[in-house]
Amino acid sequence: MSDPPVALLAELTYRCPLRCAYCSNPTDWRDYGDELDTAVWSRVLREAAELGALHVHFSGGEPLLRDDLESLVRAARDAGLYTNLITSAWRVTRERLAALADAGLDHVQVSVQDSDAAHADALAGTAVHAHKLEAAREVKALGMALSVNAVLHQRNLARVGEIIALAESVGAERLELANTQWHGSALAHRDALMPDRETLARAQAVALAARARLRGTMDVIWVIPDWYEDAPRPCMDGWGRRFVTVIPTGVVLPCPGAHGLPGMVFDSVRDRPLGDIWREGADFQRYRGTGWMSPTCAGCERRDVDFGGCRCQAFALTGDAARTDPSCPKSPDHRLVRDLRRERPATATEPGGPLYRIDIRRGPRAS
Amino acid sequence: MSDDACRPTLARRARLRWDAARAQHVVVVPEGVLALSAEGAEVAALLDGRRSVAAVIDALAEAHPEAPREVIGDDVRDFVGRLVARGYVTLEAP
Repeated sequence: MSDPPVALLAELTYRCPLRCAYCSNPTDWRDYGDELDTAVWSRVLREAAELGALHVHFSGGEPLLRDDLESLVRAARDAGLYTNLITSAWRVTRERLAALADAGLDHVQVSVQDSDAAHADALAGTAVHAHKLEAAREVKALGMALSVNAVLHQRNLARVGEIIALAESVGAERLELANTQWHGSALAHRDALMPDRETLARAQAVALAARARLRGTMDVIWVIPDWYEDAPRPCMDGWGRRFVTVIPTGVVLPCPGAHGLPGMVFDSVRDRPLGDIWREGADFQRYRGTGWMSPTCAGCERRDVDFGGCRCQAFALTGDAARTDPSCPKSPDHRLVRDLRRERPATATEPGGPLYRIDIRRGPRAS
Repeated sequence: MSDDACRPTLARRARLRWDAARAQHVVVVPEGVLALSAEGAEVAALLDGRRSVAAVIDALAEAHPEAPREVIGDDVRDFVGRLVARGYVTLEAP
C-alpha cells in the first residue's frame, strides 16, 4: 500500500539554451524530443491532483520553451494544484511573466549560476545573469512567491556569501543552496566540480549563519553535499514515497535520475493513468519501502530516516542499484566515496577554462 | 505576539485548502505543506485581512460558547504568531 505523492515534478522538456556543466539531466537529452502535448499534460495534472498531489513543479530543461506553459499552469490551478515554475528565466519578458501570473502561477524559482555576471555567464555558456535579476524582481512585483536557487560546486562555493546577498537583493523568500548531485553531465565533470573539504566547510558556515540571521525573512536551505556527510541523503524522501516525476516523453519515474538505472520497467502516461503507475508500476515497487534492502540497510535504525540513500548513486559507484548508498559510512563500499573526496584544498583558486554540459545523441527512443 | 487590533491575512503564497487524499485541511506554501488541525483550519479561514485578531477571537468564542474565551485567545495568538514568524501570515496595523 502506498501513500499518495505530495508533489508532481513535471519535466516539460529537456531542451535548454543554457549549458551548465552541473546539469543532472541525461546526457543524451536530445533524444527525448517526442514531448507530451498539451492535452496529455493537462490530463496528467488532473490525475496527479486526484491522486493526492498538492504541488506541481514545472521543470525541465527550460519549461519556458514550451509555448503552452500558460495553459498548463491554468490546468494545474483548475485541478487545485499549487504551481511552481523552476526556470533559468531565459529571455522571459514582463508580458509573459504577467500572463503566467494571470494563469495562476503561485511561485517562481529562478536559478543563478553564480553571484556575478562574469562567472555566471561563463558557466551558463550564454549571457543570462543580468536578465535573471530583472526577471526575479518582476516576479515579486507581480505578487508571485520567489525562490532563488544556486547549484554549488568548486567554482562558485567561495562566493556563497555573495550569492546569498544577491538573493536578498531581489527579495527572494527562499534560497536553495544545492550542492551538486553527481548525475548526468555533473557526473561526467565530477573532477572539475568536486569541492574540497575546506572550501565546502567555509561555505557551509556562511550558509548556516545566513540561515540564522535571515529567519523569518528568507528561508535559506542548505542541501547537504553528497559524499562529505556522515550519513546518506534521504534521496527523494524515499523511493515512490512522496514524489512522482513525469519526464518529457511521458515516462513516469520515482526520481528524475531513475531512467539511468538498468532493468527498470518504465510505464508511460501515454499508456496508463498516473495513479495506476504510482500504485502498481513495477519500477515504483522495486525500491519502495524496506523489502528490497540489503541486510546493512534493513538492520539499520536509520532505514526510515534516509531510506537507504540514493539508488542512482549506488548504481553509479557499485554497479548495483540495490546496494547501500556508498556515501553511508556503514556501506561496505564506503571507501569508494572516501577516495573521491578532496581532503586537501585545490591548488588553483580559479580552476580551468570553459566547462559545458555533455551533449550526446544516441538515436531515437521508443518511449 | 502583536496587538489584538492588527488584522492578519493569509499571505498570497500560502493557500488554505481541503486535502481530500489525507482528509485534513492544509496550508500549501512554496515547497511545503502545513497540516492543520480542525481548530487550526477554523482559525486560518478567518484570517482574511478584514477581521482584527480580536474579531477572530470574538467569532470563535461565539461559535464555541463551551470554550473559555481566554483559552481561545491564547490559541489564536499563538497560531497567528507562528504563521507570522514563518511568513505565511502578514499583519496589518490597525
